Amino acid sequence: MANNNDNFDHVIVNKPSIGQRMFKYRWFYLMFLPVAVVLLIFFYWPMLGVRYAWSTYKLKQITLRLGPDYSTGWGNFQRLFTSDPFHSAFRNTIVLSFFNLVFATVLTVVIALLINEIGNAWGKKIVQTVLYLPHFLSWVVAASIFMLILSAGTDATGADTSNMGFVNAIVAKIYNLFHNDPYVPIDFLTEGKWWRVVWYIMNRWKETGWGTIIYLAALSSISPDLYEAAEIDGANRFKQTWYITVPSLMDTILVVFILNLAKIMNIFESVFVLYNSLVYDVSDVIQTYVYRVGIVGNDYGYSTAIGLFKSVVSLVLVSASDVISKKVRGYGIV
Amino acid sequence: MKKKFNLFNPQYAARSWFVLFNTIFFILLMAVMIIPIYKIFCDSMVNQTVYGLNLLPRGLDPETGKNAWFNVIAYKRIITDPALYHPFWVSVYTTLLTTFLGLLISTLGAYVLIQRDMPGVKLFGYLLLFTMIFNGGLIPTFLVMKRVGLLDSIWAVIVPTSMNVYNLVLMRSFFEGIPASLFEAAEIDGCTPMGIFIKIVLPLSKAALASIGLFFAVAAWSEYFHYVIYIKSSDKYNFQYKLRDLFQDKQDASEGTKINVNTLKSAAVIVSVVPFMFIYPFCQKYFMTGVTMGAVKE
Repeated sequence: MANNNDNFDHVIVNKPSIGQRMFKYRWFYLMFLPVAVVLLIFFYWPMLGVRYAWSTYKLKQITLRLGPDYSTGWGNFQRLFTSDPFHSAFRNTIVLSFFNLVFATVLTVVIALLINEIGNAWGKKIVQTVLYLPHFLSWVVAASIFMLILSAGTDATGADTSNMGFVNAIVAKIYNLFHNDPYVPIDFLTEGKWWRVVWYIMNRWKETGWGTIIYLAALSSISPDLYEAAEIDGANRFKQTWYITVPSLMDTILVVFILNLAKIMNIFESVFVLYNSLVYDVSDVIQTYVYRVGIVGNDYGYSTAIGLFKSVVSLVLVSASDVISKKVRGYGIV
Repeated sequence: MKKKFNLFNPQYAARSWFVLFNTIFFILLMAVMIIPIYKIFCDSMVNQTVYGLNLLPRGLDPETGKNAWFNVIAYKRIITDPALYHPFWVSVYTTLLTTFLGLLISTLGAYVLIQRDMPGVKLFGYLLLFTMIFNGGLIPTFLVMKRVGLLDSIWAVIVPTSMNVYNLVLMRSFFEGIPASLFEAAEIDGCTPMGIFIKIVLPLSKAALASIGLFFAVAAWSEYFHYVIYIKSSDKYNFQYKLRDLFQDKQDASEGTKINVNTLKSAAVIVSVVPFMFIYPFCQKYFMTGVTMGAVKE
């Protein structure tokens, strides 16, 4: 035995040198070249740009062909932490993401459990096809659809509201059953108290069905033996769900939750296509604020600082999720 | 398993009531999913100013004064007005280009990443993964685009969308499923790395190519924000951008025609959705392969 092991070690020692191996794989380096070029130009080069966060860098410096002015030091960050629009954007980011995440988790799990109970294979397939559909619409299309069906009328001043959208038309019908005065349409997208409700509904409409896929995959991997044993022990369907299905899903639920927790700072396009200046106080998130300050307002230094703050918070969240993941299931998420 | 459906037999009643309510629940849920899209479809076929609760593609045509089914005047407008059909072609070719380039980058990158003995391959992997947890941010990326002269170029939109680390990692896990003995046999037969890639890896990964290709196609077709920040000339905007423009009422595309502006908006929504609706029922399984694959390997 010992001899055999010695021989084996001998083979390992004679592994080709790094130079020989690099030569052997020369064509692979060439194949990776296009990937590396794109990666370096579009992903790593911008990382060097985070230094603008400590500078004053506006359109003026660009037109005068001056570089960024670094004399401000931590000024952008001081400005950031005392700025009301930033506080509002930060709060909105957290509130919108967090509630959306909670609604998503609950709704997606419940609907996945119910889909799993559909006995008819064809029925199940049709339900899945229909529920996945909105996921493939872009945010622009989703927002456009919601703007049309939630419309309060043709006129922004509210003078002519005969052309209400579908939702207002339904509410009007019901309202007129009980009231004699004319119904005043609700402008869902310009009223602060309604905007968030609409945003949550749009998100859930678009993504809930798609989110069930991962739970359905987890459900199909639960061993049928467990259910048979439970049935012999006299557990009814509800008890089987509560004591077998739900505990078996907990791991998946947790993984999806922490993966999404790591991404809560990233919400952007769904807000960008739905918000407007009338509802900034409830809808403006960090990314949209960066866009307005940086791209529209050309204040590159300050907006880089906001973006950097967001990236750092994201990094902390990802690391925290990774630690939680390692604790719970033994391996990380990255 | 008990299958008998009987609401009043005590032995089956509980399950039967559940099945009944579950069926009703899903019929209602499907209605909630479909009605918004269906309503827009109906409104796009009715050229009138008040839609209300109408749920049929039928309405009063103001020109003839009669009720008409499937009034396609708004669609005619879209396919004859260059300001509306040109963005559609931009969408088509950017989607094709992004899908091709995206698959090229993902397959090349993934093929390199599965070479376990290659010096530096771990570093390449970390370089890719790091971009998933940290990036320079919107403004530094914008300034780099400006520096390399890609502002107002269609490539500023195509290239970043083509480089999707998540899809690349997904492709790698597909490639890892190919038996190593196939590579060894081909190598002994004198096949070059590029030959193995083209003759063995790609033909064996058709499902992966379809699945990830569709991910790229959907992402490229839905692309909007990159156009907002990088594109300035109106002949380079895609259909999503044009659609958004219509809804922001920046200009009235129905001006000078007898088309109601909401009919035109509805028709534009439907046009942007239609290409996808055609392929979706046939491609659903590929989408799902991609998702469950990612979930398992994550």
